[in-house]
Amino acid sequence: MTESHDPQLLKGVLSLLLLHLLAERESYGYEVVQRLQAAGFADVLEGSVYPALNRLLREGRVQTRLVPSPGGPARKYYRLTGDGQRALAESTAAWDRHVAGVRAVLSRPLPSMQGA
Amino acid sequence: MAIGWFDRLRIERLVWMLDQQIYDLPRARRIATRREVRANLLEASADVGTTEALRRIGGSRGLAEQYLVAEFGDRPRPSWIGAIYAAGLTPLLLNYLLSEVTNGFTDGVRAAHGSGTFAFDGVAYLQHALTVTVSGSEVALSGGSWTPWTYAIWLLIVIFAGRLWRLRRRSSQVRAGATDD
Repeated sequence: MTESHDPQLLKGVLSLLLLHLLAERESYGYEVVQRLQAAGFADVLEGSVYPALNRLLREGRVQTRLVPSPGGPARKYYRLTGDGQRALAESTAAWDRHVAGVRAVLSRPLPSMQGA
Repeated sequence: MAIGWFDRLRIERLVWMLDQQIYDLPRARRIATRREVRANLLEASADVGTTEALRRIGGSRGLAEQYLVAEFGDRPRPSWIGAIYAAGLTPLLLNYLLSEVTNGFTDGVRAAHGSGTFAFDGVAYLQHALTVTVSGSEVALSGGSWTPWTYAIWLLIVIFAGRLWRLRRRSSQVRAGATDD
């Protein structure tokens, strides 16, 4: 999946994606970006991921620890807190409802398709 | 991929420019942000090259804005750094202006009359009247303090530079949000 994504849509779900990735395993900022890109979100830029991680930190949904890096400055690893786990569950449920609602509308046949 | 000194300078330039624009963040958060961005950029630079790493992180202005929005939310916010600069620089500027006017008056009366005691009304609205006593090369000044108008101008400049009226709007929005809940 390498197609570009609607930036507005991405902005809305970026927190959910980050929470899920960090629930899978703790990661540092650039690693999170790489994992997003590997998942097909190649157009997610670092400039939006790092501030989003900062916001999750401020909201208490993730916590950090510094780990020395072999070839450079220490890396700041992010991992989910209890609040983050709850936020992930709530956001996932909200996303599922949203997708179900959108899919229900999109699956209705259009007049032109009925006529064809 | 090894990172050369020129690429390190490019990274430091972005980090420094970012740092200048996130002064409104709490100090510890600002320092942590600076270190994290630098570490991530070095890592990305070693991975995909500095040009691509800098492109992907975007300009310092946009990045700073994202960090400020992440910290304070999307609403218009005051600029504490602007208010602090205005609070510090405005008195310097006003005192410079008033002292230059006083010096001009002193030089004038000394040239015209030599020694003596002279009354000066001061700069209208900005300065109380002052008395200049010239005795040979000695000059003594008394009075000439700021008027309430001057303090009011100082306050207004601080409010405008810091956009402090947004504090009121923000707190009223917070109250409205709490009522909605």
